[in-house]
Amino acid sequence: MSILLEKHIVELLQERNDKAISLLYEHYGDTLYGVAYKVVKDAELAQDVLQESFVKIWKKSDTYDSSKAKLFTWLFRITRNTAIDKLRSVNTKSDKEIQMDVSNVYNLGIDSIKPEFIDVQDNLGKIESKYQIVLDALFFQGMTQQEASEELNIPLGTIKSRLKIGLRELKKIYGTSVMLLPLLNLL
Amino acid sequence: MKDKIRIFLDSDLLEKYLLGTTNKEETLQVERYIAMYPKVRKTYQELQENLEAFAKIHAVKAPEGLKMKILSTIRAQNIGRRKSRRFGIAATIAALIFAGSSYFFWDQNKSLQQENTIVNNRIMNLEADMKQQLEDVRNQFIVLNNPLTKKFYVNGNNKAKDLKAVAYINPVKKLSYINVRNLPNLPKNQCYQMWAEVNGEMVNLGIIKKIEDKDKLLALPYGKNAVSYITIEPKGGNSSPTVQNIVANISY
Repeated sequence: MSILLEKHIVELLQERNDKAISLLYEHYGDTLYGVAYKVVKDAELAQDVLQESFVKIWKKSDTYDSSKAKLFTWLFRITRNTAIDKLRSVNTKSDKEIQMDVSNVYNLGIDSIKPEFIDVQDNLGKIESKYQIVLDALFFQGMTQQEASEELNIPLGTIKSRLKIGLRELKKIYGTSVMLLPLLNLL
Repeated sequence: MKDKIRIFLDSDLLEKYLLGTTNKEETLQVERYIAMYPKVRKTYQELQENLEAFAKIHAVKAPEGLKMKILSTIRAQNIGRRKSRRFGIAATIAALIFAGSSYFFWDQNKSLQQENTIVNNRIMNLEADMKQQLEDVRNQFIVLNNPLTKKFYVNGNNKAKDLKAVAYINPVKKLSYINVRNLPNLPKNQCYQMWAEVNGEMVNLGIIKKIEDKDKLLALPYGKNAVSYITIEPKGGNSSPTVQNIVANISY
């Protein structure tokens, strides 16, 4: 997103103009939906998460400080935390009710063959899975490096180096597209 | 210094901060490092860019209609908030009006109560006065209407020829009254005073005020063979009658 547009959205947010939400959704809706989906692994829940997140974004808009984080980082934090909270509440509920028909695994199976997912898989395929796993654990599962090390049974040092290499690989992939993004916004 | 930065970057504090999972102390520490060390700042910047890129790779087309749903939810909340703010203002104004009017009514009630007490006292005094006066009139009527009551006309002597009075004496009821009808004018430094000699004792009955006493019956102390006098005395009255200034006397 162009810096100008980001600035414009932030201004609208601070003026409490709901056009900001419309613009945010246009530019970040799919990405944030992806974040929500990645965490909750259920299309319906992800929609709820996105809705709750945007309400929070709107309510908290006066707390955003551009000197502390990029706009996307702030949006990501809210969405990811909302998604984790949602997952926890759903898990607690389903622990009690034992509802097998809303199995996350089942939904993931269907959604993962959607065309947009194939694109993603294509992109992700360019990063070796061992790096992907680490990036995934840290960015989406909300694990600390220590937790990822324990969960994935990989030494902490390896986690750290895989994270670094993974990020470098990531840069290689999006490098060109990121450069094109501001141009796309002008179209 | 370099070691410090390296140790910091090796810890996962910066990543945790990126995801918003640091506690308050950790947040302050990370923000301090970002502000102080350009290397940390650069790493944080890179991490943010990486995060955005990584997230974009995972972008999933959000379902149709979700945007409208979200926007209408936010707009509804906005209207609700505006409404509740308006309601809050209205409620505050109403509360202020209520408080103001309450004080006004309380104050009014207080002064009305005070006024009520004053009026009540006045009524009570008037009632007492009225009873007293009625009692007096009743007694006078009993005396005047009694067939045994004797009526005496009193005229002034040479010193006050125009003096006219009527005395009513009832030996049975042992009551006597006098009504002074007319009094000749006196110099300003003099006045008329009434006396009664009852059972050998001289009693001061007070000064006769000309106008006020015209239609008034003045009670006289009753005694057998009593004598009443009217004398001219210096202004303000005298403690004993001046015998040479007697202008009228009534024996009964």
